[in-house]
Amino acid sequence: MAICAVRGAAPATTLPSQSLYYLLYCAFDSCSFIMSYELGDFPVLVDWKSDFVLLVKAGVPYLIHKIPRPKGSGFWLVAIQVIASFNLLLLIVMAFGYVRYRRKHWWSSCYIWAVGICDFAHRRIPWKGCKMLMLMYSSWCIGVVTFLGNKWKTVYCSSSREQASKPPLPHENTVDHPSYFHYIAALVGFTAAVQHIEFRFHELWRGILVSACCIGVWIVAYTLNEIGPNHFKIRITNHGKPKQFTSFLLLAFFSMSISQPLASLLSSTKKDKQDYSMMSRALGIPDSGLLVQEVSIQSIDPNEPFDKLLMDRRFRQSFVEFADSVHIYVELLQLDKIPVEDHVRRIYMARHIIDTYITPGSTMEVNISHRCRQDIQSTPDMAHPDLFKNALNELIQLMKMLTRCGRHWRRGVSAAVLEMYLLLLLPYLIIC
Amino acid sequence: MVFVLCTLIDSMGSLCSRHRHSPADPEENEQTAEIERRIEQETKAEKHIQKLLLLGAGDSGKSTIFKQIKLLFQSGFDEAELKGYTPVIHANVYHTIKILYDGSKELSQSSEDSSKFIVSDENKEIGEKFSEIGGRLNYPPLTKEIAREIGTLWRDSAIQETYVRGNELQLPDCAQFFMENLQRLSDTDYVPTKEDVLYARVRTTGVVEIQFSSVGENKKSGEVYRLFDVGGQKNERRKWIHLFEGVSAVIFCAAISEYDQTLFEDDNKNRMMETKKLFEWIMKQPCFEKTSFLLFLNKFDLFEKKVLKVPLNACEWFKDYQPVSTGKQEIEHAYEFVKKKFEELYFQSTSPDRVDRVFKIYRTTALDQKLVKKTFKLVDETLRRRNLFEAGLL
Repeated sequence: MAICAVRGAAPATTLPSQSLYYLLYCAFDSCSFIMSYELGDFPVLVDWKSDFVLLVKAGVPYLIHKIPRPKGSGFWLVAIQVIASFNLLLLIVMAFGYVRYRRKHWWSSCYIWAVGICDFAHRRIPWKGCKMLMLMYSSWCIGVVTFLGNKWKTVYCSSSREQASKPPLPHENTVDHPSYFHYIAALVGFTAAVQHIEFRFHELWRGILVSACCIGVWIVAYTLNEIGPNHFKIRITNHGKPKQFTSFLLLAFFSMSISQPLASLLSSTKKDKQDYSMMSRALGIPDSGLLVQEVSIQSIDPNEPFDKLLMDRRFRQSFVEFADSVHIYVELLQLDKIPVEDHVRRIYMARHIIDTYITPGSTMEVNISHRCRQDIQSTPDMAHPDLFKNALNELIQLMKMLTRCGRHWRRGVSAAVLEMYLLLLLPYLIIC
Repeated sequence: MVFVLCTLIDSMGSLCSRHRHSPADPEENEQTAEIERRIEQETKAEKHIQKLLLLGAGDSGKSTIFKQIKLLFQSGFDEAELKGYTPVIHANVYHTIKILYDGSKELSQSSEDSSKFIVSDENKEIGEKFSEIGGRLNYPPLTKEIAREIGTLWRDSAIQETYVRGNELQLPDCAQFFMENLQRLSDTDYVPTKEDVLYARVRTTGVVEIQFSSVGENKKSGEVYRLFDVGGQKNERRKWIHLFEGVSAVIFCAAISEYDQTLFEDDNKNRMMETKKLFEWIMKQPCFEKTSFLLFLNKFDLFEKKVLKVPLNACEWFKDYQPVSTGKQEIEHAYEFVKKKFEELYFQSTSPDRVDRVFKIYRTTALDQKLVKKTFKLVDETLRRRNLFEAGLL
């Protein structure tokens, strides 16, 4: 995430609540770090190598591609993210062989799970997806806790024979140190609070894959560590490969952001179907006869307010030449239907609209001014109800002027344009 | 075109096949037959028509040429059509004043010499009002009262200073013309003149076509042309590709006055550089192997005025330009320089096996009807000559 932000891939994260979130995230990490130090878990060695690599990776884009250094809050956000990532890395490193075996509390590594959750939280999962995820996560957590707890007990009992000092039993400490659970609870709370999402659809799968790998490796390393001391071979594996592997994975982990809500992934098939019905409706492709496009336009009074005209289905059909503009109009209408409080869906829709119609070079890019485009792309709040207002005004003005000139009324639809839309539509027909 | 229609039929076949299973669709069959017949007819008729494409970057004057053709070789605009332009012209006025006022505000904050861009207090109120109106969806009708207010604001020295810096603001070229004719535009029984229509600025989207014969609509003896006008902005160019088949000539419009302006769709790019890139791209299209190229160096009227104030080397492409003298001579010199640059570009981007295609450069001002008429006569002659040559008669 940190590096992703450094690369400028997530420049839109400038909400005050978000900076607050990162600050808190950082603070929490530091807290847990200090706590673990006080508990005697401070690592003897810190993996400076991977820290160094991380730093280099954060800095290199600036040096090589000469990306202008973000100023003000932009810079500090990145800096905080980098520091936070450092913390996280440190914590994970601590989870490996550097953790003292003579630990007082078996669950003192609890914060690592918290970090795991925190990382998913970090990627800001929307609430609907969050419930689902929490369910999955808690079951995983419980599994790990029971498994490791049992493991620890056996290992601990065997090692306690050799060692004189006998620390208290795990469950007693749980009562003494509820702060860890507060930590988790707070994180969950913050996740729910911060739902302004930066969407990156294609990164979703990669992100999930890498996080899954990361967690997997961590579990393996941790488990090996727990049972390891008596087996030399395992110990070597533990201290050697997994660590490097994990630090490598961690780099990958940090260099991308999964910000797509899980909900959208879960309903991806539904979305396609929605798209289809929307596409065909917006295009006004009738079930039979494509050439009957010149349907009774005369019956529509062109002097009516334009936004009313656009609501008329036949009018939209006759307007295929402005297909991109009409499409965005329809999609914006749908965006308007989403209640303002539903940030997640609004942002998802907004992201979809930006990707399809606004970004230069996109498939259905509309004819709007640079300033307008710039305003939309650099918006700090994607859920803002007036985000597309200016663009829509510009487009409607344009369409209006073109119709007033009477240039697009006389002719039907040119075959070329029709063909283009058929090509666009074919995939949807196949799906159907 | 044939190709397009074939694809259309294919696609339609796949479309209709979904419904084939339903027993009662004689209507549909009838329709299919009708479509096929129409396509056949069209293909036959199509053979004798020469296809001309108007290409070029945004705001290069393609649509103005298109309108001129309509005026020159077709019936022109009837009154209803002329009246249809009234809201467009009024929108241009509102748009212009908004750009100018917002621009002056911006310049008064950012430029070094900020004081001269500060609008006087009494005009500020008017400015704010029109800035708000300009952002609306529906503009109020241009009444005498509004026209007077806009006129006052336009004459404000800050706005005039901003107008001088108009090249930074995406100001339409029609700004001055409409501002000076405000009184006439606000008449209650105002009907736009031909000139007004030519000046009116609307970004074209999609593809518009017109069929004409250079001898005149009534006499069918002459060569028949079909002219396609397209939108020039980057997002519009993906629609061009469908037109590239079977083109006899491409009329490439390049506004030579745009060398110090930036793109409408991207404020960081110089328009001339974009035109250069686009020209190169079009030259290299495999579809245009035998297509004639007619390069219109357009907006010469603006170029004439600008080149004496803004040196040509403001544009990266013309960096090595050295002004030689002043006045008319200088204009000619600058024009020749630009022309040479385009010629060089043409030969650079044309592979040796294509050198026999026609390439001609014309100096045009799309607003000047006589000049456009003359140019088209020349174009017509060139194309006919080419046709005869291809038929082996010359």
